[in-house]
Amino acid sequence: MTTFDSKYDMFPAGDVGVVEGEMNIPSQGGPSGESMEFNTLDEPIKETFMRDLRAVGNKFFHVLIPKEKTSLLKEWDLWGPLLLCTLMATILQGSTERADNSNDGGPEFAEVFVLVWIGAAVVTANSKLLGGNISFFQSVCVLGYCLFPIALALIICRVILFMTQNSFLFFLRLVISMVGFIWATFAATKFLGDSQPEGKKALAVYPICLFYFILSWLVVSHSNV
Amino acid sequence: MNNVNTGELLNFQDYSPEHNDRTARIEVEAVHTNQYNNMSTPNYGFEEPKNVEEPQAVPQKNHNFWTIEYYQKYFDVHTNEVVERIISSVLPQKVSRNYFDERIKGKPDLYGPIWISDTLIFTIAVSGNIANYLQSANKVVHWRYDFHLVSYAATAIFCYVWLVPLALWAALKWTTLPDGQDEIETQQSTSPTMMSLFCLYGYSLSIYIPVAILWTIQVSWLQWLFVLMAAFVSGAVLIFWLMPALRKSKYFFILVGSILAFHFLLATGFMLYFFHVPDTDVPIKVSITTS
Repeated sequence: MTTFDSKYDMFPAGDVGVVEGEMNIPSQGGPSGESMEFNTLDEPIKETFMRDLRAVGNKFFHVLIPKEKTSLLKEWDLWGPLLLCTLMATILQGSTERADNSNDGGPEFAEVFVLVWIGAAVVTANSKLLGGNISFFQSVCVLGYCLFPIALALIICRVILFMTQNSFLFFLRLVISMVGFIWATFAATKFLGDSQPEGKKALAVYPICLFYFILSWLVVSHSNV
Repeated sequence: MNNVNTGELLNFQDYSPEHNDRTARIEVEAVHTNQYNNMSTPNYGFEEPKNVEEPQAVPQKNHNFWTIEYYQKYFDVHTNEVVERIISSVLPQKVSRNYFDERIKGKPDLYGPIWISDTLIFTIAVSGNIANYLQSANKVVHWRYDFHLVSYAATAIFCYVWLVPLALWAALKWTTLPDGQDEIETQQSTSPTMMSLFCLYGYSLSIYIPVAILWTIQVSWLQWLFVLMAAFVSGAVLIFWLMPALRKSKYFFILVGSILAFHFLLATGFMLYFFHVPDTDVPIKVSITTS
């Protein structure tokens, strides 16, 4: 205790903040004794893979129950968004067998892919331009992970599409994708809303709504069986 | 006060004292060596723009064209300002008479134009699909949605929002008469900057968003009524705000006429391409397009 105190006094004010910030990190991951010997070189590949997979799954879980605000912002990754985006683009793409049909209107795989990434980038650029204090990839990460409810809605709608269609089932699909839209918007607003200065919050939230609304529109319009 | 706080900080982790000593030393090293801790990097990353932004707000510092701070001055608006500008593009009597000269010209924003045109693109695409569905509702053909309406709408709207103000700006710049009748007035309302024209045109599209939803109603005369109403209202408001600058131009009537004509052309094009069933009510169509 005494040795630490004397050392502590020698640090200038700026370094104290860093020490304080770093001490929080190991207590998140596990016992702090482990992180001291943190070395990924000689561990089995399965452990490395499972640790990353668990981090991704943990983030999906936080999107579904958005109560802890900082959990997604701490360590961003783009694996989850990539998975969701690829899944959605694969399901949503227009059928090629009717390519000669004049009214085959579904988007191509690349169009959905580009729409998701460019959309997330534009929404992020908008919040940066409005003066929000969040790094670019953190915001893209949150926006990508918050696609999860919409992707779930898409999968449910895909299952519904296997049945014989009538207007009740269409109504059901509409309701499901509306719920997905609201859920995604709510989660993204919860994670990103605080990064904006007061009085500009609505300006930053509106593009997020628009982005998720467009994707939900694609989900409900998708009817290629 | 400070000493008490730091003492609390050291103890709050609930480690035994000798353990505490050891971890603290390791973490200090970890800042420099451990790549896995990316918490420290973002912290440094988004401290910096904040510091640069603070002086920028007051004395209008010149930033490099390629930095994000250069564009932040075009997004420096608050929610109520955006709402006020949308209102001013539809109902100019609700705001003060020289709102354009005082507010928009001094501080043009790009937030409104960009997001209003994006919203309009997707509103047109979505409600164009609904209109298409309603048209084919009583036919046997299996209806499919057309995603590519988005690209057509985007091309049309972005061309309109960027090219027409550019042309108008050039026209105003090179046809304005250097009249010496009133020195004070010429200083007060010089020809508007390019950015303020972009801003004005972007906001003038906002009326088409509710109209695009109403266009899904498949009644031909109602659709044409909406075209006339929307184009007239937002065109008239455009002319109203630009009147002081337009009046000084040599080709006053040509400019006013072409502003209105482009506005009607845009509305008519949207309606005919995205919402209209082509085979009905030919006489009405002829009478409108000639006027």
